[in-house]
Amino acid sequence: MGRKVAVVAGGHSKFGKRYDATMRELCAEAYKPIYDEGLTQDKIDASVLSYAASQFSGQGAGSALIADYIGLQDKPHMRVESACTTGTASLRAAWGLVSAGLYDVMLVLGVEQMNRVSSATATEYMSQAGDMRWEYPFGISFPAFYALMASRYMSDYNMDHEVLAKIAVKSHHYGAQNPKAHLPKEVSLEEANNAVPICRPLNLYDCSLITDGAAGVVIAAEERVKEFTDRPMWIRGIGAGASEMMIQDRPSLTSIPGAKRAGKAAFEMAGLGPEDINMAQVHDCFTIAELVAYEDLGFAEPGKGPELVENKEIYHDGRIPVNCDGGLKSKGHPLGATGVSMTYEILKQMRGEAENSSRQIKDVQYGLAHNVGQSGQFVNVFIFERGF
Amino acid sequence: MAEKKEVYLGYTTDKALTPWYVEWLAALEQERIMKSVCTSCKAEYLPPRQHCQKCLSVTEFADFTETEAKLVSYVIVDFAPESLSSKAPYVVAIGEFPSGLRLTAHITNLMSLPEVGMALKLGFDRVDDKKVTYRWLV
Ligand SMILES: CC(C)(COP(=O)(O)OP(=O)(O)OC[C@H]1O[C@@H](n2cnc3c(N)ncnc32)[C@H](O)[C@@H]1OP(=O)(O)O)[C@@H](O)C(=O)NCCC(=O)NCCS
Ligand SMILES: [Zn+2]
Repeated sequence: MGRKVAVVAGGHSKFGKRYDATMRELCAEAYKPIYDEGLTQDKIDASVLSYAASQFSGQGAGSALIADYIGLQDKPHMRVESACTTGTASLRAAWGLVSAGLYDVMLVLGVEQMNRVSSATATEYMSQAGDMRWEYPFGISFPAFYALMASRYMSDYNMDHEVLAKIAVKSHHYGAQNPKAHLPKEVSLEEANNAVPICRPLNLYDCSLITDGAAGVVIAAEERVKEFTDRPMWIRGIGAGASEMMIQDRPSLTSIPGAKRAGKAAFEMAGLGPEDINMAQVHDCFTIAELVAYEDLGFAEPGKGPELVENKEIYHDGRIPVNCDGGLKSKGHPLGATGVSMTYEILKQMRGEAENSSRQIKDVQYGLAHNVGQSGQFVNVFIFERGF
Repeated sequence: MAEKKEVYLGYTTDKALTPWYVEWLAALEQERIMKSVCTSCKAEYLPPRQHCQKCLSVTEFADFTETEAKLVSYVIVDFAPESLSSKAPYVVAIGEFPSGLRLTAHITNLMSLPEVGMALKLGFDRVDDKKVTYRWLV
């Protein structure tokens, strides 16, 4: 299957309400640490520079702007878009080009600038990713799509909302220890369980944040990896999946069919199973999404995800640590940056470089990233292997 | 001409009018829901599609006569997209008819919290006292 490809460097901007920056400055912030590791512009053959929604920034054809701003104006670049999976879709595209031999070294940057508009406007833009003819006119926002899953899950498995609140408590616990996080603060179970409703049964603490930020990684072909690092992270498995456009057409609302397919394909390509994974970054755009991810990826049987939560198996010292960087919930969710940020975090954990020992996962050999777009219309799962 | 009018489906204006869609909306204005049936493989769609998802043949409209459905799932939208801010909170539900066909619409006459499995009845509503849309009643 082509050449082996490794992630050789990563960079990350501060996530948050970044009124001090726009898309271009955020990208420079994410590329700078990569540059400082020696991956200067002359080493990069081509790039994928992506964001999910141009409504937010008002900038069309933005990869040209970003490339120029970070000094890659004379190298081929493109933007790949697939809603919240824009980041991993960009990585998947770049992997294909490097694996096939067209390029040896590529930069993948994901970015989103979402806070130039109000939350209501941002919610409006995102709701336009629902079916414009049959869903949008009924005002189904993104939290609403996931609330439809939550209502059904809670009913089918007789689950209390408190389980979801416990996921939020965990995310904020780790986000509080991540200097790049948007909302780095601890939250009590009571607070998380009784916050203002957003889309019942989901409340404020079930929702990810509306975040500005960027993240980047550089990948290289096997022959070239040693030039850049002695601590590479190999891309071992890639799986992608898709689901029905309208949420009403899904055979089940307690699982994302495309995520199951993506996970299965990634495990097959890697020759591994869920039991081999030492850490996971999952797409917790809403707490219910994280719960469903445990089950879709095979970390828990259907309906048994709450047991992982109750037993704290998803904490950094548990059986399958999940989102020990705060996740989309506390670290934040700048749409196009999210998948790249997940990749960056796994590289960091493998290298033992988490800022705080209380969020450092021990001895990560295999890490998994699960990135979902919209309510499951796009899914990418990556499995990474420590190469040192 | 229907094209000239502001046409509502649900609670916001849809501007992407085509002759096919206008025909569907004209029936809606008479409080009729139409499904579509594939002219080739007979697959049925609700909401309707102009082309069959399975064989890509064109479909034709047929009256949809089921009215009783069961609630598949629901959400109470407290924080709405900007265009519907003035209507929040509102309840969106997916209902399934005995044929297995489904529709997504607002429930407008709830007096208590919705429940998965509860009975829903397809009804109609006038938005701003003018335009017709479909809705669920309990
Ligand atoms: C839930 C949501 C509507 C809240 O937005 P909002 O009400 O405009 O919130 P504001 O930005 O005005 O912030 C108000 C307060 O709530 C906090 N807050 C905002 N969003 C929060 C969240 N998701 N979780 C916890 N706290 C949050 C803010 O920090 C602020 O706290 P402060 O008063 O102590 O400073 C918004 O976060 C949201 O839409 N999230 C989902 C994003 C989404 O759908 N992404 C795509 C997923 S696929
Ligand atoms: Zn057909």
